[in-house]
Formats: sequence, structure tokens, C-alpha cells
Amino acid sequence: MERNECQGYSVYGEKKIRRKVRIGNERINEMSVILEVKNAEKYYGNKGNLTAALNDLSFSVEEGEFVGIMGASGSGKTTLLNCISTIDRLSAGKALIGGEDISELKGKKLDEFRSRKLGFIFQDFNLLDTMTAEENISLALSIKGEKPAEIEKKVNDIAEKLGISEVLKKFPSEMSGGQKQRVAAARAVVTDPELVLADEPTGALDSKASKALMESLMKLNSELGSTILMVTHDAFSASYAGRIIFIKDGKIFTEIVRNEGEERKDFFKRIVDVTTVLGGEIDELI
Amino acid sequence: MNSFKLALKNIRKSWSDYTVYFLTLIIGVAIFYMFNSIGTQGIMEDVSKSGNDKVKMLITAIEVVSVAVALVLGLLMIYANNFLIKRRKKEFGIYLLLGMNKKKVSKILVCETCIVGIVSMFIGLLLGIFGSQFLSIIVAKMFAVDVTSYTFAISEKAAVITVLSFLVIFFVVLLFNTGTISRYKLIDLINAEKKGEKQIIRNTKVSIALFIISTILLVIAYAVIGIFGNRMRGRDFAFTAGLVVIGTFVLFWSFVGFFQTVLSKSAGYKKGLTSFVVRQFSGNMNTSAFSFALISLLLLAAICAFSSGFSFRTYLNKRLGNATPVDLTMRVWSVKPTEYLASKGIAVEGWAKEYMELPVYESNEITIGDMVAPVIEEAKKTFMYARWDSAENVMRLSDYNKIERAFGREELKLNDDQYAVVSDFDLLNTFQIAAIKQGNKLTVGGKEYGPAYNSVNYEYILMSGLTASMGTIVLPDAAVDEGSGSFREDSYLLIANYKVSDKQGRYKTDALIMDKVGASVEAGNNGEDAPDGINIQLSTKNQVEDASIGISVIVVFLVLYIGIVFVVACAAIIALKVLSDSIDSVQKFRILSRIGAGEDMRKKALFIQVLMNFLLPLVVAFFGSVFMLGFIKGMLSSVGMVSLGPGMVISALIMLLIYGGYFLTTYEGCRKIVK
Repeated sequence: MERNECQGYSVYGEKKIRRKVRIGNERINEMSVILEVKNAEKYYGNKGNLTAALNDLSFSVEEGEFVGIMGASGSGKTTLLNCISTIDRLSAGKALIGGEDISELKGKKLDEFRSRKLGFIFQDFNLLDTMTAEENISLALSIKGEKPAEIEKKVNDIAEKLGISEVLKKFPSEMSGGQKQRVAAARAVVTDPELVLADEPTGALDSKASKALMESLMKLNSELGSTILMVTHDAFSASYAGRIIFIKDGKIFTEIVRNEGEERKDFFKRIVDVTTVLGGEIDELI
Repeated sequence: MNSFKLALKNIRKSWSDYTVYFLTLIIGVAIFYMFNSIGTQGIMEDVSKSGNDKVKMLITAIEVVSVAVALVLGLLMIYANNFLIKRRKKEFGIYLLLGMNKKKVSKILVCETCIVGIVSMFIGLLLGIFGSQFLSIIVAKMFAVDVTSYTFAISEKAAVITVLSFLVIFFVVLLFNTGTISRYKLIDLINAEKKGEKQIIRNTKVSIALFIISTILLVIAYAVIGIFGNRMRGRDFAFTAGLVVIGTFVLFWSFVGFFQTVLSKSAGYKKGLTSFVVRQFSGNMNTSAFSFALISLLLLAAICAFSSGFSFRTYLNKRLGNATPVDLTMRVWSVKPTEYLASKGIAVEGWAKEYMELPVYESNEITIGDMVAPVIEEAKKTFMYARWDSAENVMRLSDYNKIERAFGREELKLNDDQYAVVSDFDLLNTFQIAAIKQGNKLTVGGKEYGPAYNSVNYEYILMSGLTASMGTIVLPDAAVDEGSGSFREDSYLLIANYKVSDKQGRYKTDALIMDKVGASVEAGNNGEDAPDGINIQLSTKNQVEDASIGISVIVVFLVLYIGIVFVVACAAIIALKVLSDSIDSVQKFRILSRIGAGEDMRKKALFIQVLMNFLLPLVVAFFGSVFMLGFIKGMLSSVGMVSLGPGMVISALIMLLIYGGYFLTTYEGCRKIVK
């Protein structure tokens, strides 16, 4: 499985990042591209004072991939996720999910798109505290218009997979952080979305709960084939992903892939190395 | 930036939060002014000039009610204000973080309260002034009062009372505000948004059982009131009403458990956002079952007050039609009225076209108690302070029939051994009729007399509009003439028609007479000794008419006043509650949006959520009012009142206007959160 790693260049000056990802021919036949971001740009501010949060950024995610996006705060990773998740809009460039250009979706179509193709996991769980775990998970299905009998079955299946069957009747206030996040994960994947977007899913969890959650996500990825795009700044969580894209100042800095058979520990070390380089660049600035 | 500018900016910024506060303040001020200005409104001026004590009393009643209304509005303001503060905790927290001291933050709040207060007071007063003119015209139409003399009137007294009352309310609100700010810790202010509502979980089995029990309890209590209410004693009635109150509270308390359990088992629960809406509403009801129950009871009171108040007006108008057959009736004790008036220099011949003078006797043998002898024990329970041993009034048949002719009524016929009872005192009638039905015999001068009719003759001998007399017995002439030892002359009636026949002319004649005997009349009315030792009861056509109009106008006003304030208070509390919940809902609706609920879906969910908050207490109140109005109708028809229909239509319109207005304002305010 050959895959060329792209090269990240220094960000300053005139040099523009040229990023090329060559994908092996066999692989492209096997898998279809779920997410494709092309020359994405996002600006904030007004005419006189324009800040680029995303600066000509391109990458793609294939079906069944578990991709991590890392970067320091302010690097643009949350902006990127917001734009992909249709919460925000790109200033220029394109984002295609399942071949559909999301910037062209509006109103009802956009809502429907969100409910059918995307699943969300947030840092602060975003569970509805007035509803039980079961109701939280089934809500995602009932919004989609699934039949009650189907809903029950699907909810029970996913709960079993994620080890939350015993908390189904509980309210969020009665659950631990780890349980809450697994319920949120269940809600995100129960609708069988094309792409699961996770925004710092372990951000509010202790290390033990983080580990359990990441293992759950990995399980979802490997067993159910869920495509996951996760934003994180935690190297440990990121080490569960198959590929990490590093972002800096709105551009892709570099990208590393977990090799087949590579121990998670080793992958973790590589991630830490890259983050050190990322941090080092900042030191150079000073 | 000084506090004033900052305050002004804040108001502009959080305008939508202020809407309900503003609305309630403006309505409060306007209503407060409108009702306090009643005394000086064109239509009421004539009435109050006629110097009728009852009218004065009722105007005082409005003033007393106003104090209670001010209290309610004051509490409402504090509640509304707390909502505003709750909504802006974080903002205040940031001020404090930036190094502003609590005094300065309080100062900003004081400025805001003052600006809002002054603006809304101004608008409210303006609305009130125009509203009161409008009210005058409506009332004039309602009571067919001549409005040619109508002028645009501004009541300074009412304006001053309104301004003063609201200044006091604002001052209290200010005290509360500053107190609230200094009580909070910075950490709580900063983290205000993060605190979620605690989920209280009640035992569902207990809830369902209590819900069923309370529903049955309520239905029984209402049915008892609706069917037997008229015949119930005070204590039993209070007991049943107490059951209604308790039943309502338990119903609202247990409603959530029942509602949640039943609905979550239904097939529709997992359709769209149904489960979310149900849970939201349950959570809401959980924390405020008490307020909802109270609101429901207040609404019930308002509905009943509206409907019965308007019917009372119809009743009075009807009764007024045959209440003034002559221009003047007068009763004088100790001397003959003609002689008495002549001695005062206003001889009857001078102003009366026709008149008659009739003696009223007092019996030495028959007491008031004798009239109800067979049922006296029950009567004593109802009239605890009546003097049952005082002598009964007696009239000769031929004298009484003269009154009947003069008043255009049917004459009575008696055999030698028969008597008739004349009384228009409803409550006493019940016992008098019961006694008559049992053939109650009266003994005068050794001779027994039995009832000629099987009921009382429901009539009056003196015009008075609303007041009733303890009754008079009519005996055959011979009984009185022959049994002189059994009777003493008590007083004389003078019944007269004036030479003038128009209303203004009658006012002049009234004034002429009252000028001379007014002091004695007042003493007679108050049960005091007259200055010249002569007690008089006197009423004229104009007085009775004006008093009746005045009384019914004031009754309608009082009912409207209390009813509207209740409805406004209820609607405002619900509105504020819903709006403050919507702060917590913002995040929830954001989550819904992210998990794919479209804007239409969210809008619908919000609409249902807001609607349910407004509708539930109203539905429970409406359910109760159906029974309560059955009772009120029964009560009213027993005194000859007409249907409740028109009253209910008017009250429904008022409710719809106020309640619906608040609902729409609230929904608009909340809608931002789904965007």
C-alpha cells in the first residue's frame, strides 16, 4: 500500500504550499472519496482588516478512513470542521461530501443533508439534558423519519456495541463524562452517516475515559466502517486515527499515516515529533 | 461611558428581552389609571353628584381593590425584573471582571429601571387617558346614558395616584435589583449560562395514581358545586372550593408523570421532535407545577368574574325598567309626611301633581320571627344577627292595594281570615315561603289568620333600586280597624308624582326637597337619630336610576379591573417563564439543528412548546369554569337574572386579546433561538 506523504513547507513568505497526494491505483478503485476539500478559503473581518482562517487548503477523506486533524489553537482546525459540518460557509473553494457540493445546499436541503449524511460528536457532549440516553440516541433517527420499531432495534444494537446498554434509561446528569460521550458517539453513528465529525471528543474527559472513548471510535471505524474526521490537539487521542493532517495558519503543514502493522505507541511518538516541530516553528518566530 | 449611556445602550441591545416587561408595565399603568379615574369620568359624574352612599362606597371599593392590584403588579414587576437579571448575569459578571464595582453595576441597573419605568409610565398614562375615554363611551352605550354632555376628561387625581403607586413599585424593584446583584458571587455570574436545569424525577406510579385521583376529585368537586352549589351552606361550599384548589395543585404536580409515561408509550412519541417537546414540557412543568396551578386558578376566577359581572349588568338594566314607577316615595316616622313637609316650607301641593299618604302599622303581637316560625331554627343559622323579636310591619289591604295601583301592579285579594306577605328580600323569602307552605298561622287580637297565597308577594313599598326590606304583612282592613289594641301607628308612606316630567326638572325638584330634609334622610339611611327627631326614608326616581346605573357600572368596572389584572398577571408570568426557559433552550435547539432537525421542524417544536405552556392552565381553568358557571347561572337565575351568554362572549374576547397577545409576543421573542 504505497502512499506518498505530502510535504509541508514553511509557511512564511512567498512560498505556497504545494500539496500532492498520490494514491495507489488499486486503492482508489476499492474506496470512494467521501469528503473532498478543494482550495478552501475562509476569511474573517472586513475589507480593511482581513484574516484568513483557512488559506487554500485541500485534502480528501476516503470511505472507511479515520482521519485526525491536529493543530495549535488558532490554526484553523475548528473553522475547517465548522465549514465541513455546514455550520459555517467557506469564503472560497469547495467542500464535497459524497460528491455533493455542500456550499450549494440551502434551507431544507441543507437540513436534510445534515440529518442523512453527517454525524456529530462534540467536546461538551451536547446531549439534551431533559432526555434519557435512549431518547437522545433515538431522536437522531426520529428526525430522519425512521419507524419507531426500527428505531428501538438500532438504538439497542449501537448501545451494545458501545457498552452503554445499562445507561440507556438514565439522564445525562446521572452519567459519567465517558458515558455521556459514548452516548453522543452512538447518536452520531446510529443514523449510519457517511461522515462522522468529532470536535475534540476527549477534550472534556479524563485519560481513562478518553482511552475508552477512542477505543469505541476505533471500533466504530473498524467494525461498522464509519468514516470519522476528528479534530483534536491531543496526541494521545490522535494516535487512534489512521491518518493525521496537521494544520498551521490555515494551511496544511504536513500529513502522516499510520503504517500497516505500526504499533499505536510508535505512531503516537511520530505525532509527538511533528507537534514538536510545529511548536518549534513558533519558537523560531520569537 | 457613564452609567446612563451604558444603560440606554443596554436597553436598546436587549430590547427583545424587555418587550414583555415593557408590555406588562404599560398595560399595568394604563389599567391602573383607567380604573382609578372612574369617579371623574363624564358618565359617573352625574351619578356621584346624586350623592348616593352606595356609589361612594363602590368607588371606595375600587380604590381598595387598586391597592391589591398595585401589590400584584408590584410582584409581577419584581418577577419580570428577576428574569431580566437572570438573562444578563453573564454580562454583569463581565462588568465585575473588568473591574467595575458592584455599586457601579447597580447604578447601571438603576438607570435602566428608571429609563424603562419613565418611558413605559408615560406611554401607559397616555394609553390610559385615551383608554378611559373609550371606556366611558362603551359604558355609556351599555347603559344607555345620555352622552351629549360628554367631554374629554383627564383625572389629575388618578394620574397622581398612578404615578405615586408605580414610583413605589419601581423603588421596591430597585431595592430588589441591587440586592440581587450584591448577593451573587462572580463565579456564578460568569458561569450562569452553563448551569442546566436539574432534572427532578418523580415516581411515575405515584404520579399516575395521584393524577387519576386528583382528576376524579376535581370532577366531583366541580360537579357538586355546579349542581348543588346553590343549596349549599357556606361551610360546605368552602370545603368543596378547598377541594377544587387542592385538586388543581395535585393535578398539576402529578400531571408530568402521567403525561410523560402515557405519551412515551404511544407510537407517536418517536416521531420527529415529539419526544423532545414532551420532555421539554415535562421538565418545565416539573419545576413550576405550583405556578401553573396558581395561574390556572386565577384564570378560572377571571373567567367566572367576567361572565357573571356582565350578566349582573344585564340583570340590573332589566330590573331598573320597573323599579321606578313613581317620582318619589318617602316614609316618615312619628308625623305625617304632608304635615312635616309643610312645616319645612315645601308643602306637597307646591311640587306634586298627585300624591297619596298611607299609614304603616306596627303589630304588638306579630314579630319578624313569627313570620318564619316553622323554620326559625334554620333561619337563625343564616341570619345570625337578626332581631327576630322585633315587631312586624303591617298594612291594611285597601292601603296596600293603592300602592299596587299607583305602581301599576296587580291588586291583592284576601278573605277575612287571610294574610299576605310582601317582601323582596331573596334570602329571607326562602324561609318566609317555607313557612307559608306549611300554612303558618298568625294570631292577631285573638283571631287566627292563614296565608292567602302560597308564596310571598315579591314587591317593594319604597323604591330603592337594590336594597330589600324585611317585609310587610298585609291584613284585611277589618283586622286592623277592629283590633286597635293590637296595632300602633308606626309611620306614613308618601307616594308622589312631580309636576315636572323631564329628568332635569326632576333633579330640580329633588334638590328642592333634599335641601330641606336631606339631613334627616341621611340620618335615616344611616340608622342614626335625625337632628329634628324625625326619621325619614326617601328615594326619588332619579336617585334610584342613577344609583342603579352607578352600581352596575362599578360592578362591571370592578369585574373588568380584577379580571384583566388577573389575566395580565397570568399571561405575563407564563411569558416570562417561557422566555427565561428559552435561554436554556438556545443550546438545545442548536444541538437539534446539528443532528439534522430542519428549521421548520424546530419552529414547529418551539411553537407547540410555547403553546402548551399557555394552553394547559387555560384548558384546566376552562374545564372548571364550565361547572362554576353552571353554579353561577343557577345562583343568578334564582334572583331573576338572564343568561350568561353575552358575558361569556365578552370575557372570551378580552381573554383572547390579552392572552393571545402575550402568547404571540412570547413566541416572537423565542423564535430567535431556533434561527
